[in-house]
Amino acid sequence: MKRWIWIPALMIAFGGPALAAEPIKIGALYMLSGNFANYGISSKQGVQLAVEEINARGGILGRPVEVVFVDHGKPDQAVREAKRLILENKVNFLFGIDSSSVSLAVAPVANEYKVPLVVTHAATPRLTEMCLPYVFRTSNNARMDSWAAAAFAAKQPYKRWANIGPDYEFGRVSWEDFITRLKELKPDVEVVSEQWPKFGSSDYSSYITALMRAKPEAVFSSLWGGDFVSFAKQAIPFGFFKTIKFYTNPTGGALQALEPLGKNTPEGMLVSARYWFLYPETDANKAFVKKFHDKFGDYPSYNAGEAYSGMMMLAAAIEKAGSTDPDVVKAAFEADGGLKFESIEGLKWMRPADHQVFEDLVWGYTKNTDKYPFAILDPIVVVPAKDTIYPTECAK
Amino acid sequence: MDPSFVILQFLTGLAYASSLFLLAVGLSLIFGALGIVNFAHGSFYMLGAYLLYWVLRGNPEGLWWGLVVVAALGFAIGATTERLLLRPVYNRPEHYQILLTYALLLVIEDGVKLLFGAAYKSLGPPASLAYPVWVFGAPFPAYYFVQIALALVVAGGLWFFLQRTRTGTLVRAATQDREMLEALGVNVPRLLTVVFALGIALATLGGAATLPMQTVSPGIAVEAVISAFIVVVVGGLGSVWGALLGAFLIGEIQAFGVLVLPEFAIAFVYLLMVVVLLVRPWGLLGRPPAVRT
Repeated sequence: MKRWIWIPALMIAFGGPALAAEPIKIGALYMLSGNFANYGISSKQGVQLAVEEINARGGILGRPVEVVFVDHGKPDQAVREAKRLILENKVNFLFGIDSSSVSLAVAPVANEYKVPLVVTHAATPRLTEMCLPYVFRTSNNARMDSWAAAAFAAKQPYKRWANIGPDYEFGRVSWEDFITRLKELKPDVEVVSEQWPKFGSSDYSSYITALMRAKPEAVFSSLWGGDFVSFAKQAIPFGFFKTIKFYTNPTGGALQALEPLGKNTPEGMLVSARYWFLYPETDANKAFVKKFHDKFGDYPSYNAGEAYSGMMMLAAAIEKAGSTDPDVVKAAFEADGGLKFESIEGLKWMRPADHQVFEDLVWGYTKNTDKYPFAILDPIVVVPAKDTIYPTECAK
Repeated sequence: MDPSFVILQFLTGLAYASSLFLLAVGLSLIFGALGIVNFAHGSFYMLGAYLLYWVLRGNPEGLWWGLVVVAALGFAIGATTERLLLRPVYNRPEHYQILLTYALLLVIEDGVKLLFGAAYKSLGPPASLAYPVWVFGAPFPAYYFVQIALALVVAGGLWFFLQRTRTGTLVRAATQDREMLEALGVNVPRLLTVVFALGIALATLGGAATLPMQTVSPGIAVEAVISAFIVVVVGGLGSVWGALLGAFLIGEIQAFGVLVLPEFAIAFVYLLMVVVLLVRPWGLLGRPPAVRT
């Protein structure tokens, strides 16, 4: 009988420290295969770097961070993977997500199991407007990009506007948000043409000629990735960028598009990058870019920067909470008017009502230089966070 | 609509049709002679763009010899694929062939990812072709004339090959009755190798020719093979001239559909396909399936 006493005693003696250092488990879902794997891979690299740094400084609350990366694929696959991470891997948090449709499918699952989900890339405004208590987004969304573009557009003297965007939710919502906001700020604008090429199209020439025929002064475009590259390559020899006085494209500042375009990038496009590796010129950001470049041989793309910052912000929330309990972490994100976190990109503020982060948005005009083999943003123009704070339907 | 704009839009449609023709003609040729539905056809098209990117090493000025090298590589790859992989399944049921070419699609996609990475690859046109030429006062990319010319040369070359050379005559005979050809002492296996290699060479050439104006990523293979199937369904699977007609119709419908109803421009192409399938299920220039006796 007496001997039983020894077992708990031994457990405390030897198991104690091990228990205290039980890792914080995070399941990271990114698009690691398929057509957009280049986005998922750079997001993953951002997370890897953040976790390395967190663990090097002793983890979070003295516990190491352990990340399980999975390829999220399409929404149904992502839901299966998310459930597997929750039920089998017993993760404390879900993290990441590149695709908007995947984010909309995974969010309710995370919420149901009370496993907080922190989204770092998917940009549909609908995600945070679902008002789910355990879902957070630390990157800016497409509506904020559209509002920022509208803020610039309203200051331009141009009245004749046209759109070209991919024919799916992101393209449609981006244009809707943009033109609605622009008409609020500048009621005398008119829409002369809307073009909706299929997402993933390779040939844009007939859309380009149709656009130019409508003689717009300014064009808004939500084409991204390879679509944006093909569009730009075809628009140049049509003289598109010489005829159009003002061209704006949120996500056009993504390195995924600027690197392949190289020196063929049209200059003077007003583009956003969500995160741009040369801004802000702080020691923290420079150190991040250097470390990233040393480790992966490339500059961090916008989504790598967002993934890194998102992980650091989650770490800050857990530190503040003093626990990984979902309700305590949620409270830490929401308390004191919302968590304010100084990231490499600048200040990120979590709006308590909808769990959407607001931050200064970095935009700029494309310019080719001798310093980089691709176009950079010069001059950079920053949209203050307050100009992108749209009303939310979520009550708080 | 002013006539000069109609001509401009017609030309953009023609440019698109040219790349569709190069993409689809090999698919049709291969089906006609070998009876194989090549699901990997779009993958060879994508491979062509990667090969050009690779042989040019960032210098767009080498485009001309680059296209020749890619077509030659495509021919060699096609011949090797036929000898090693397709020949063993000719006498098996059709679904073996479909599974095999589908497997090729997956292998090529992962192969290019391994060799070139997942990032978009792009290279501009040579400096001499990077500017617009003026067509009735409207700018039109000079490079598109290269693509149109290339398609015309290929179509003319194929006509000459099929109608005027002995090998071409045998290829046409093979589409009619392979067994009879064999009975007459023709080396049919070698003939099939040549046809398959030619089809693949055209696909790689077509893919390579798009690189100056488009971007290549592993994902374009599936998009391409779907487009190729639409072209041959409209034109008639197995018919070279059907591929030409199908590509032309789809290119122009796309170009003018955008003007008429930009909201539904994509739908017109599918609408054409549906109408053809209802009225002439074997395609505009295809042959109705022979009644077996």
